[in-house]
Amino acid sequence: MSTADLESQDSVDPESSEYDDDDDDNIDDYYYNGDEDEGMASDKEEDPELFEFVIIDSNEAQEIFDLLVVKICQEIKVSESVARILLIQHDWNTEKILERHRVDPVGLLIEGRIIPDKPVAQTTSRSLYCPVCFQRCTKSNTTSASCGHAFCDDCWMLYCVTQLKIGLSSGIECMNCNLLIGEEMALKILKSGAAREKYRQFLFNDEVKCHPLIRWCPGNDCGFLVKVVIPKAKRILCSNCNSIFCFMCGEKYHTPTDCYTIKKWLTKCEDDSETANYITANTKDCPNCGSCIEKNGGCNHMQCIKCKHDFCWMCCGDWKSHGSEYYECSRYKSNPNIVNESAGIQAREALKKYLFYFERWQNHADSLKREEETKRKINQKIQEKVNNNIGTWIDWQYLLDAAQLLAKCRYTMMYTYPYAYFMEDGRKRLFEYQQAQLELEIENLSWKLERDELYCRGDFENQMDIAEKRRQTLLKDFLVL
Amino acid sequence: MSGGLPRRIIKETQRLIAEPVPGIKAEPHEENARYFRVSIVGPRETPYCGGKFKLELFLPEEYPMAAPKVRFMTKIYHPNVDKLGRICLDILKDKWSPALQIRTVLLSIQALLSAPNPDDPLANDVAEQWKVDENKAIETAKEWTRTVCQRQIVHTSLSGLYKSLCARYQ
Ligand SMILES: [Zn+2]
Ligand SMILES: [Zn+2]
Ligand SMILES: [Zn+2]
Ligand SMILES: [Zn+2]
Ligand SMILES: [Zn+2]
Ligand SMILES: [Zn+2]
Repeated sequence: MSTADLESQDSVDPESSEYDDDDDDNIDDYYYNGDEDEGMASDKEEDPELFEFVIIDSNEAQEIFDLLVVKICQEIKVSESVARILLIQHDWNTEKILERHRVDPVGLLIEGRIIPDKPVAQTTSRSLYCPVCFQRCTKSNTTSASCGHAFCDDCWMLYCVTQLKIGLSSGIECMNCNLLIGEEMALKILKSGAAREKYRQFLFNDEVKCHPLIRWCPGNDCGFLVKVVIPKAKRILCSNCNSIFCFMCGEKYHTPTDCYTIKKWLTKCEDDSETANYITANTKDCPNCGSCIEKNGGCNHMQCIKCKHDFCWMCCGDWKSHGSEYYECSRYKSNPNIVNESAGIQAREALKKYLFYFERWQNHADSLKREEETKRKINQKIQEKVNNNIGTWIDWQYLLDAAQLLAKCRYTMMYTYPYAYFMEDGRKRLFEYQQAQLELEIENLSWKLERDELYCRGDFENQMDIAEKRRQTLLKDFLVL
Repeated sequence: MSGGLPRRIIKETQRLIAEPVPGIKAEPHEENARYFRVSIVGPRETPYCGGKFKLELFLPEEYPMAAPKVRFMTKIYHPNVDKLGRICLDILKDKWSPALQIRTVLLSIQALLSAPNPDDPLANDVAEQWKVDENKAIETAKEWTRTVCQRQIVHTSLSGLYKSLCARYQ
């Protein structure tokens, strides 16, 4: 696969314009980036999220595997079935197999459980008792792997079907020792088409699982795979189902948090879901006049309809102070003396800290959903304008671009909170500073988008530029790879 | 094979009765040939010596493709047997092979009594005790063996007494 292939794969986004019409509440979609800065080499070099990958179907993956199988067959003169077992055992590293073969060809096969470590005495009698069903059978009705443990074909079939049921394929062993029976023998034993198909499918799964550069797309029933050049915890966009996920762990893309931390965070959220339940509030009282304000957009910059007071939905603080360097909305101020407190106070403090971060994580997820709605409305408005001959569709595209970028920035913003929650002191100050900067620009962009009539294209483009720059700066400083 | 008992089970049962394993008794139930009443005598030079342990063994429909299900009915203090009598033994789980038999399973359980394996425990508290203070654990196991067997003796003699009383008053 050449770089050109990757490029073309990246740019194949036929859905980019249709995407807006059929979006549902799938959070995977939020990180969608329609125009992937193609051809801007200088930008590409600096993009901390740039990652080479290609989406392939299972036939293409099978071809990649089969090429390596053929190579091993030819180089060390073994059957395809044996080559496949060896490759699965060695994570498709042909060099490792060939090297071992050069040093100790017999050892390679013994370690691979393909031949027995001691030679076996073959029975010469023409009939035998099958040790499983205790029936007498002719030799032609029995099968054995290279270990010589013969069983009747009926028992073999029953056994293989049972093994398939527990998900085994390449791992099916002889009924009497741990030699692997391999694809060739398994398919000879399995007579029904369905069973053979299942075996092949499981075998393919085993092949994928141990290939370091190929993964299944985790999208629901997607069935496509992704192939990368270097395995990293980076962003994959499936061109088939639009899922956006992390190559390493298959979870929803989680930059700047790493795979281990996001797993810890998601587990914690699940464990503590009871405690965090009450958080989902739709209304809050204006901190100035006390009238009830409902949140109906994604923007966290709130303005009281009654008294026009500007405040922050998250912390209820005055919005004006959010821009200064005393921005304290996203930073959790822990009790500096906590180590000397009682266990009860410490536990309460720990819960307070968790809820602080969880609330913000949850709120951004909620805003993402609400801003999807905003985007839908913008789309409608553009349609109306175009219908009334107020500009062309292309003239208004910047509004959709802004909504797209907003979603991308907010998505990253959301994933800064698990990172911050588990972060040790030290660089935490710098992180929180950049987090606050990004947060501010995101809310400014959201504010403008929800009131798009008041702002011109230049305003949007400026705001988009600042927000994306903030996002990139944060990622460059904190994305450890 | 449907309906009737597979030849394999018939053959195995015949052999178990004709050539029993020393220290092990296994009898199929009169009404269900897949259900076996088993007793294993505590091996010599083990804390289970002097005890007679009852077990039940059941051959599921899939046998021999699936392992038999075995459970201690007598209380036993052993790191690989839990309170419910379930046994932690690899050949009863993922290491089962259709080439193994009831006989091999029972022999393995007998061997497990001789060589407890606290590193692969089912009863965590017992295994812990085994690792922390093996001598004390062995004492406890002996103690359990004694009480359980006494109870069995009492039970047998009581039921004997009851029967003779019944006989007298009839
Ligand atoms: Zn057979
Ligand atoms: Zn074998
Ligand atoms: Zn997909
Ligand atoms: Zn990951
Ligand atoms: Zn107000
Ligand atoms: Zn705030």
